[in-house]
Amino acid sequence: MMRAWVSSLAIGSSLAACSGDTGKVTQPPPPVTDVVLVDTIPVAPNYGIHDQYLRDGLDIVCAWNTGILIYDVGNGIKGGSPSNPVLVGSTTTVGGEAHNTWWFHNPVTNEKRYLFVGQEGPGTIGSSSVGDIHVLDVSDLTKPTEVGTFHRNGSGTHNFWMDEPNQILYAAYYNGGVVSIDVSGTLSGDISSRMIDTITFGAGDTYTWGVHLYNGSLYAMDMLSGIWQLHDSLGTLSIAAGGNNETERYGSDLWVANGYAYTGTWGFAQRVSGVFGNALKVWQLGAGGAPTLVDSIITPNILTVSDVGVSDDNKLLMFSTEGGPNSGFWFYGLADPAHPTFRANYLVGSGIHTAKFARINGKLYAFGARDPGNPAQVILDVSALDQ
Amino acid sequence: MTGRPLLVLALLLLDGGAAAAQRLRVDWRVQAIPALTETDVVPGNRSLGELRVVQPLAMLDVAALGDRVRFMSAVDFEKYTIAHGELAPGDWGEGFEDRRHPHTLVHQLMLIGPDLFGPLLGPVHVFAAAGKGFVPFGTDDPMSRPAVRYPVNHHLGQILERAVGLAGVRAGPLTLEAALFNGDEPVSPGSWPDMSRFGDSWATRLTLRPVSGLEAQVSYAFVHSPENRPGAGPDDAKTSASARWERGPWYGLVEWAHTRTAGGAFVLHSALAEGALAVAGHRPYVRIERSDRPEEERLFDSPFRTRRPLLENSILAITRWTTVTAGDAVNAWRYRSLTLTPFVEGSYLGIARVGGGVFDPQGQYGRTRGFAITAGARLAAGMRMPRMGRYDEGSMREMRMP
Repeated sequence: MMRAWVSSLAIGSSLAACSGDTGKVTQPPPPVTDVVLVDTIPVAPNYGIHDQYLRDGLDIVCAWNTGILIYDVGNGIKGGSPSNPVLVGSTTTVGGEAHNTWWFHNPVTNEKRYLFVGQEGPGTIGSSSVGDIHVLDVSDLTKPTEVGTFHRNGSGTHNFWMDEPNQILYAAYYNGGVVSIDVSGTLSGDISSRMIDTITFGAGDTYTWGVHLYNGSLYAMDMLSGIWQLHDSLGTLSIAAGGNNETERYGSDLWVANGYAYTGTWGFAQRVSGVFGNALKVWQLGAGGAPTLVDSIITPNILTVSDVGVSDDNKLLMFSTEGGPNSGFWFYGLADPAHPTFRANYLVGSGIHTAKFARINGKLYAFGARDPGNPAQVILDVSALDQ
Repeated sequence: MTGRPLLVLALLLLDGGAAAAQRLRVDWRVQAIPALTETDVVPGNRSLGELRVVQPLAMLDVAALGDRVRFMSAVDFEKYTIAHGELAPGDWGEGFEDRRHPHTLVHQLMLIGPDLFGPLLGPVHVFAAAGKGFVPFGTDDPMSRPAVRYPVNHHLGQILERAVGLAGVRAGPLTLEAALFNGDEPVSPGSWPDMSRFGDSWATRLTLRPVSGLEAQVSYAFVHSPENRPGAGPDDAKTSASARWERGPWYGLVEWAHTRTAGGAFVLHSALAEGALAVAGHRPYVRIERSDRPEEERLFDSPFRTRRPLLENSILAITRWTTVTAGDAVNAWRYRSLTLTPFVEGSYLGIARVGGGVFDPQGQYGRTRGFAITAGARLAAGMRMPRMGRYDEGSMREMRMP
């Protein structure tokens, strides 16, 4: 176990560089808290680890061509813990490129049978993509088995969200926009016919990174056209508000909590010369749920904010960063959810691609996917920040 | 070291790089090209000039047993002279963009049987080679061609610096080669092929030489995960066709190359024509090229470098580079095998995005047309620059460029 002390960062002077935003500046207070490195799980460089999903004390790692790795980090099935993850089961998915996942807890059947896995195939960012959704039967967590596939011609899947009571899977589909899929009942074989609806935001305006269901609306973050609020009626989608609100950068991930949406930006290509994907934007959701930009956080010396999350008690905002010396985990307090305040960071030179919170035995942890060339899952105890 | 080897070495140096001792023949060459390059096609909308020593090379070619066995080696010192690449707009590969990457220190180390059975098979000649070197695919290495600046299509038109085992047969004007090799491209100037991946990729090339000086080839290669050393990256299916003319003072090459990556998710095309004429101590040359390039995520601390190892299979766009390069090299000075050949060459470049994507050439460079000009001198001693990229007896017999 190693203890990592967070050093002070003078980032205030860079905040004004957030051109096109509200112009408000969030000054970080001196960091006074600590982040503890609990463990690191090496992942084969095949390419490595892309994402992780944490639920019921299980850590489900998407390890690209290595497949899906299920670790006990507090579930008890194998006696694992965050400081001693124990592999429960693993499998490879057809075609590899395991990118993201969602473990479906079905309240209708009380089953925890299906794991949906997103495959991220080769694509041209902003234009084209390929990749299927793979359905794994994890009734026996030690022997996950692929049982079904969802395929769309002309586009590939990215991040998921679920309406579990209504048994609907929502998937961002890059140039295919957003897709809703009926995942009720038994899933087997080709489930492509189960698509309920799909929506795009216009030609040249659609390359959707992620979705998040909140207060009856589905929020979609599109790399090209920004954050959209969608009406959702049991999977039938229509545009409610938002959109065309991200012009100086490309959008990335999102999280919605506390009546606010927090969205990242992607900057491995510059939309406007000299403007990087170094912004975390804060959107206030109006009475009807429409997003309005109210603040933004600029992190200097990075290219991309690649993942965004909020802790289960809505007190702590986390985002992961890549492409620059300030790559790693960043944590902000949400005492005022409209204006997050800097709490700590944990820098990782090669970058953190995705980061997820998990509360295990009363402690709050952050699990992050460390980029190649030395890919690994990094596990931090951030309980001290969760005040 | 005793005095005798030194004496032999001195004799070799003064003897134009060739010595015969019973049935052993040794050729050698050393060269370096100090070159000043200036271009306005630079990330960040600026101009940039650099003076570098490019293509510093030491070559040793040993033939034994009446040329029945040959050993060809080339040590490339670009690891030390252009560790951060050679300024060359449009060039790409091995984690570099708009800079030509340095080649590996051991550029070539091949053991060759150019004609394994001699006259036993009559008009049929069988050859084989193994070591680190060129895969039988595509055209000659640009280093052995007239222009100093590499073409954009280097990674479409050649496969090199691999652990390769090849065999071929020559019958009359036809030569057929096939090879197994490792798909992973070098990850640094000091890297060696990943031997655990030997045989995961293959290539074949059919060459026709209907008349002296004329050579045409078609070739195909399957390359497994070239850009991801552990093998997790997409595969390339590469095709090449070319015709080459070299006779008397004239040299010419027309080339078409095509690479399909990830089952056709990305398709890169290239067409190139070049020619040179040796006349009155000069060697004017011209090259016209239109080649596609995949645009990858560039690093925070260098707009000339891309992420390695790759994280995903996605690219930002495909750009198409149209370049016209013209130059002249002058045989300025010679003492025995020591030569000094100053040159100047200029390129006019046009850049366009092909299809969709988030890479914008105008945003990246502040322009979509520009120039690059290079002046320098080739300092060389030893044998003339050989053709690089072939190990069959027919090619090696005609390996001296004019």
